[in-house]
Amino acid sequence: MFFFRYDRRIFQNFDWTLFALVMGICAIGVVNIYSTGFGLGENSPQLYLKQIQWIILGLFLMAISFLIDYRVIAQAAYVIYGILLASLVYVAFFGHMANGAQRWISFGFVLLQPSEFMKIAVIIVLARYFDDHKSREPYLLRELFLPLALVLIPFVFIIRQPDLGTALMILIVAVSLVLFIGVYWKSIIIAAASAVVMMPLAWLFLKDYQKHRLFSFLSPESDPLGSGYHIIQSMIAIGSGGVLGKGFLRGSQTQLKFLPEQQTDFVFSVFAEEWGFVGGVVLMVMFMSLMVWGFRIALHSRDLLGTILAFGITALIGWEVIINLGMVLGLLPVVGIPLPFFSYGGSAMASMLAAVGLLMNISVRRFILQR
Amino acid sequence: MDRQGSFRDGPQPAEFRRKLKLILAMACLAVFVLTARMWYLQVIKGDELRHRSENNAVRLRAIQPLRGLIMDRRGEVVVDNRASFDVLIMPARDFPPHMLARKVQEIYETRSVEFSPDQPLPAVFKTHLPVRLEKNISLEKVALIETNSVDLPGVYIGVTPVRLYVGGEIIAPIVGYTGEVSKAELDCGKGDFLPGDITGKTGLEKILDPYIRGRRGNELIEVNAFGRVIKNLGRIDPVSGADVVLTIDAKLQRAAWEAFAGRAGAAVAMDPRDGSILAMVSSPSFDPNLFNSGIAHDEWVKLQNNPLKPLSNRAISGQYPPGSTYKMIVAAAALEEGIITPETKVVCNGTFELGGRAYRCWKKHGHGPVNLHRALVESCDVYFYTVGRMLGADKIAQYAARFGLGDLTGIELHHERRGLVPTRDWKLARMKEPWQQGETISISIGQGFNLTTPLQLVQAYSALANGGTRWRPRLIQRVISPDGTVLKEFLPEKTGEILLSQKTMAHLSQALWGVVNEPGGTGAAARRPGEDVCGKTGTSQVIGLPQSEKARRSMKIADFHKDHALFVCYAPMKNPEIAVAVIAENAGGGGAVAAPVARKILDAYFDGIKQRQAIKLTGKDVSAGT
Repeated sequence: MFFFRYDRRIFQNFDWTLFALVMGICAIGVVNIYSTGFGLGENSPQLYLKQIQWIILGLFLMAISFLIDYRVIAQAAYVIYGILLASLVYVAFFGHMANGAQRWISFGFVLLQPSEFMKIAVIIVLARYFDDHKSREPYLLRELFLPLALVLIPFVFIIRQPDLGTALMILIVAVSLVLFIGVYWKSIIIAAASAVVMMPLAWLFLKDYQKHRLFSFLSPESDPLGSGYHIIQSMIAIGSGGVLGKGFLRGSQTQLKFLPEQQTDFVFSVFAEEWGFVGGVVLMVMFMSLMVWGFRIALHSRDLLGTILAFGITALIGWEVIINLGMVLGLLPVVGIPLPFFSYGGSAMASMLAAVGLLMNISVRRFILQR
Repeated sequence: MDRQGSFRDGPQPAEFRRKLKLILAMACLAVFVLTARMWYLQVIKGDELRHRSENNAVRLRAIQPLRGLIMDRRGEVVVDNRASFDVLIMPARDFPPHMLARKVQEIYETRSVEFSPDQPLPAVFKTHLPVRLEKNISLEKVALIETNSVDLPGVYIGVTPVRLYVGGEIIAPIVGYTGEVSKAELDCGKGDFLPGDITGKTGLEKILDPYIRGRRGNELIEVNAFGRVIKNLGRIDPVSGADVVLTIDAKLQRAAWEAFAGRAGAAVAMDPRDGSILAMVSSPSFDPNLFNSGIAHDEWVKLQNNPLKPLSNRAISGQYPPGSTYKMIVAAAALEEGIITPETKVVCNGTFELGGRAYRCWKKHGHGPVNLHRALVESCDVYFYTVGRMLGADKIAQYAARFGLGDLTGIELHHERRGLVPTRDWKLARMKEPWQQGETISISIGQGFNLTTPLQLVQAYSALANGGTRWRPRLIQRVISPDGTVLKEFLPEKTGEILLSQKTMAHLSQALWGVVNEPGGTGAAARRPGEDVCGKTGTSQVIGLPQSEKARRSMKIADFHKDHALFVCYAPMKNPEIAVAVIAENAGGGGAVAAPVARKILDAYFDGIKQRQAIKLTGKDVSAGT
C-alpha cells in the first residue's frame, strides 16, 4: 500500500487505554442487547449476534483508519465527503424505507445508513478546511461560508429522510468545532441571531411527528400516549432499577416490552433497570474517561489537523452520550440519538469504531511526527 | 506532507489548552447533572417507581377504528360493521392462562355451552400481556363470563368491530373480505400496521383499504393485578375510515343473484353511457363473513377444493369462448371492410364444406338463403363461416380488439384476465405451427381459440349501444368522509372508440333488436314489451362434438362438457341505459337458459325505475311489504 509506511513505533506506542475503553463499552453493550432479546422466542432475530458482526466489521474499518496516516486521510477528505453526499442523494430517491423513514441503502444482505458515516466525514472535511485556511486571528463570518455549506447540504438531506437526531448532531458538532477553533464574539452573536431568525424556516422542514415530540417534551402530560409514553416508561424502568438493579435478564420493564426502542435509543434504560445506579455510574465513568482521553489526544497532537480531528471526534462522542442520556432520563426531548458503542445499530457502530481508529491514529503519530 | 509540524500559522496549542479546560468543565457539569438525575430516579424515587413497574400498571392499548361503510349507488349499506366479543386473559403470576381457561370451560359446562378456544395457549406467558382465549363469542357466553367475573380474575371481554357483509355471497366477488394483518404484511413495513389490526385481503376491501381502514386509536390505562382497568390515563380516539359509494345497484345485484338460482356462471350489468357497473355476480360464491375473525381451517379447505371455484370472480377472470355473441363483431368487420352489404345473401343448407371437412350449422336442415339481418336474428352459422373465411383471422382480430376483446378492461378489481383474440402471428409464436384455414371457420362463430370474459362482452356491446365509445368499467363512484365531504371522486373514463360508421351500427342494432323481437329470433325469452331489448344469444361448445349424428346421440354428455349458455343485450334500443352479459356454465342453449336470466335482470332494472317514479309521485313506497 503506497500510502502506508510501516513504522514499528506505530505498534510500540499503540493506544491501549483508548482501545480497551471502547471495546469494554462495546462488550457491555452486546451483553445488554442480549438481555433485550431474551425470552422473545426462537424465531426472533438474535440482535446481539448481529451487533457482534457489526463490531467485527467496525474493527476492520478501525484498522484501516488507524494504519493510514491521518494526514493522507485528510487529503482524501473531499473525496470521502463527495462519495457520502452522493449516497445521501441516492438514499433520498432510491433508499430503503423502514418505519416511515428512508435512510438506508440496501446491499441485499445488509442495510447501510450513510448519514452515520456522514457525521465522521463532516468532521474530516472541516478539519481539512481549517487546516488549509490557517489563521492566527479568529475567523470572520464570511470565511465560514464554505464550511457552513459543507455542513448544511448533508444536514438538509438527512433531516428530510427524516432523521432529526443525526442531522442535529452534525450541526452541533460542526458548531462546536468552529467555536473551538475560534471566531469573534461579534460573529457568534450575529450567527446566533440569524439562526433564531431562521428558526421558523426550519420548522417547515420538520415532520409532524418531530414537531409533536418537541411539544410533548415541553409538556409531557399533554401527550401521555405518544412520546410521553416513551419517556414515562423509560423513567419507570430506570427508577425501578434502584441502587443495585434488578439483575441481568430480570428487568420487568424490559422483559415485558413496556420500553419502546429498547435496543436502540432507549438502550440505557434497559441497562439502568437491570444494573441499577451502580451500573449506570460505572458506564458513565467509562464514557467520561473516553472524553477526557480524547481531548488529551487533541491537546498532544503535533499539528493543527490532528488537534481539530481529535477534538471533533471526541466532541461527537461526548455530545451523543450527553444528549442520549439526557433524553432517556427525561431531561431532553426525544430526538433519536443513539448511545455510541452501546445502542444496537450497524452503521453507527461501524462508523464510530472507524472514528476511534482515527483517534488512535492521531494518538500514536505524535510519537512519530516532529513538532 | 509539507504541512508537517504546522501549528506555525494557526491558533496555538496554549489557546486550545485553555478552551479544552473550559469544555471539560462543562462536560463534567453535564455528567454531574445526569448522575444527579439518575440518583433522583433510582435512589430517591426508586422504591416508588419499582412498585409502579411491578404492578405495571400503565399500559398502552390499541383501539381498533371502524372501517368505512360500503354503500350502493342509492346509499343502501352493503358492507357494515358489527361488534365482536372476544374473551381475553390478562395473566398474573398466581393465575396462569391454563388455569383460567379451565375455569371458563367449567362455567360453560354448567350451562352446556361449547368451549371453542381460538388458539393453543402459549406455554410461556408474560404477566400483563393479554392472551386471547376465544373470539367472536355469542351473547350467551358474554353473559356467562360477566356474571362469573368474580371467579375469573384477569378474564375480561374485549369488544372489537368486525365486518358485516349484508349481502353475504351476493356481493362477495366484488367487495372481497377482511382479516387480521398477516406476518408478511407486517414485515413489509408499509401501511403502519400492528399485530391484530384488520385489513382488506381481497376485492375492494383490499383496493380501498387505505381509505376505509381508518386510524387506530390508543388508550393509556392503569390496571390492577387482576387485569381490571383502574384508571384511564388518556385516550386518543380512533378515526373511522371513509365510506365508499359504489356504482352497484343493490336491488339489481340481488335480482341477478336470484336469477342464477345456484347455477354456475356470471352476470354483469353495465350502464353503457359511462361504464358504471350496476350489478356483477359470480356464482357459486362464498360468505365473506366467514373470514372476519379468521376462517376455520376446514371451511377454507372446502372453499379451496371446490371444483366450481367459489373464490374466483367469474365476471372478470372467467374466460369463455364467446360463441355466437361474437357474430356481432364478425358482422361489423364484414360491413366495414365492404366484404358484404346488408343485402348480400348466403344459402345455408346446413353444412359448409372446407378442405374435405363439413362444418355444421346449428340448424340441421339449414336456413336457406339468408341476408345479414336474418343471419344474426336466427344465428346462422353457415353465413358467418362464409363471411369469416373471406375476412380472415387477422381482420376479425383487428375488429375484436376495437371492441376491447383480448385486453384488460381496466376495472378497479385485481385478477382480471385478458381473454384471447387469436391471430396468425399469435399461433405461430405460441404453438410454433402455422394457422389452419379451418381455424378461421371456428373463430368466426366465436369458437376455437377465442376467449372472453363476461365483463369484456358487456363492454363490447355497451360500446355498440352508446354509439361507439368504450368506457372503463367502474365500480367505485366516490369516497366520502363520515361527515359527508367528498374525499375522492372516481370519474368515468373513455378507453377507446370502436370506429364504426353510423350505418353499420344502425344495421347491427336493428338485427340485435330482431334477435329478441322478431319471429324466429333466438333471444325471444328476453323480450320486454315497451323497452325494445336488443341482444344476441350464444352457445359455446366446451369440447368439439363428434361429427356423426349417431355418435352424438349415443354419447352421454357429462355435465362438465355441456355447452355454456350466453346472452348479451342492451335496452332500450334508443338511448340504452343498461347492458347485460350473462354466462351460465354447462347449462345448455343461450336462448333457453341465459336469456331468461338477463330478462330477470332487465325486469328488476325497469320495474325498479317505475317503482321509484311511483314513490316520487305518490310520496310513499308502493313496494313496501312486498
